[in-house]
Amino acid sequence: MTVVDGPQIGYSSLVEESRVHSSVFTDETIFDAELERIFHRYWVYLAHESEVPEPGDYCTKSIGRHSIIVSRGTDGEVRAFFNRCRHRGTTVCRYEHGNAEFFRCPYHGWTYSNKGPLIGVPFPSRYGEDFQKGSLGLVPVPRLDDYRGFLFVSLADEGPSLLDHLGRTAEYIDMFLQGSPVEQIELSAGVSKSNFHGNWKFVGMDGYHVNFTHKSVQDLQTRRTGNAESRKGNSDRAPNLTVDLGGGHCRLDLSLTDHVELGKATSSLIGEIPNNEAGHDYVRLMVERHGSEADAYERIRGARDVHLHVWPNLQLIGSEIRVIRPLSAGYTEVFGYPSMLVGVPDGINERRLRGYEWFNTVAAFGTPDDREVFERNQVGLQNDREPWLVISRGLGQAEVTEDGVVVGNITDEVTQRSQLRQWAEAME
Amino acid sequence: MSAVAPPLSELREQVVAFIVREADLVDHQRYDEWLDLWSTDGIYWVPCNEDDYDPTRHVSIIYDDHERLQERVFRLSSDAAHSQDPPSRLCRIVGNELISVTGDSQIEVRANMVLVEVRSGEKNVYGARLEYTLVLSGEMLKIRKKKVVLLDNNEPLGNLTFLL
Repeated sequence: MTVVDGPQIGYSSLVEESRVHSSVFTDETIFDAELERIFHRYWVYLAHESEVPEPGDYCTKSIGRHSIIVSRGTDGEVRAFFNRCRHRGTTVCRYEHGNAEFFRCPYHGWTYSNKGPLIGVPFPSRYGEDFQKGSLGLVPVPRLDDYRGFLFVSLADEGPSLLDHLGRTAEYIDMFLQGSPVEQIELSAGVSKSNFHGNWKFVGMDGYHVNFTHKSVQDLQTRRTGNAESRKGNSDRAPNLTVDLGGGHCRLDLSLTDHVELGKATSSLIGEIPNNEAGHDYVRLMVERHGSEADAYERIRGARDVHLHVWPNLQLIGSEIRVIRPLSAGYTEVFGYPSMLVGVPDGINERRLRGYEWFNTVAAFGTPDDREVFERNQVGLQNDREPWLVISRGLGQAEVTEDGVVVGNITDEVTQRSQLRQWAEAME
Repeated sequence: MSAVAPPLSELREQVVAFIVREADLVDHQRYDEWLDLWSTDGIYWVPCNEDDYDPTRHVSIIYDDHERLQERVFRLSSDAAHSQDPPSRLCRIVGNELISVTGDSQIEVRANMVLVEVRSGEKNVYGARLEYTLVLSGEMLKIRKKKVVLLDNNEPLGNLTFLL
């Protein structure tokens, strides 16, 4: 259903404090406007610098409808370009990652250095004197910036700085890195690519669905531990929290029912620290770095599930760097990168991978059930005789901290309201 | 586990029958009988992004040891696995088997698979190269390794929660 036409019309009336109109998730006109007003304008996550560690390394990524080359030039600097030959528009790079000194268009052989300039045009004598090779380099993205190795782009020439955009999420990105004794991660372990027939905004933060959508995961945890502790973290009586960090950024704080103990299975998606040589070495390295065992465990606990959504397209959940790629109102791709900790025994990262495969992949025990729900959402939302959806859970009961952070019970819809409020502002 | 493998000519019939039976069990969601085909040191591996690598350093779509395999069957057999409720309808053809005996009672099989999956109004076709390591346990064959190399293991995939 199309409720409003035309790119200049505001859509903010589709989001109210306690409800949202379902066309926000189903309308292709609105989707086209989202690409322009959100993905082609705000800071969006692009890549991690560890994906291009050496001079000449490149990788290709997508932002909205754009294909982007991330290239570390021979000078060591990371740049990002639109993947398009200046001649007739062919993509000049067709691989996801590699190492190259130049990108050569397969159509007529135009060749660009890995720093962007056009360095070769076959048979140049047939161009006139006004042909300016120097102005025909690969087009750089308007703005590229990084926060602790996380590379973001904005396709708007001007706007808030990346740090302004990240706001309070920066401290949770910091926390995510604290699982490593040298506070570094690397995306060296591949990527789990998935898709679903549903709207990109379903990939949000929801502390209410866990005991229902993920009952099978909790049953498996109960089978392992012999108790039903994992179900208790996501009820209306749990100490865990939904948190609105402002700007559409939000998180679930599930750490209040998480305990770190060697060899002890917990509700954490990363799983236990193995009670073996690797586990002991890991804790020792963290204690050496941070002074006390209590501090080391606290950092490990915080890092193993920051459960953060950096609006609009990045999530840090468990070990995963999850990137949301919207392709139409009803079709989305999600790329999940299991992050590897730098400076830890091999066994720790191996455990991280096995934990990732337990919950996150397309054949795992957790995420596929989310995907199933998202697809059923998209079908259900077509039944729009009564189009308003309810997002009022916990409304009026949330606390606001001194620095303006809104906090509710883990099952509250603080996070949905956070994201949709930001959506309405961007789409006004 | 120390039985000596019979000559390859006699083994071939047994191995092909075993693989066809395995295909039949997974196509019909007979999970417990399927689990019985596995050696307790078995690894069920579906690589991700690439066809071969060190699985301690690179993520896999599936990398199940026997404990994880039991969890997978437990989940699929429960009523809480929404992504298999209703279950996928499955039909696979396994063929082009290349069989070799590589050691005491150990058999390597390479084969191709074409699998059609139908669920929720959608039909998917998956092509894969299969690699098995089978062991003779007494008269019985058991799976020590099953590796499923999907042709589209570097493409965005949907729901692969059925057994491959």
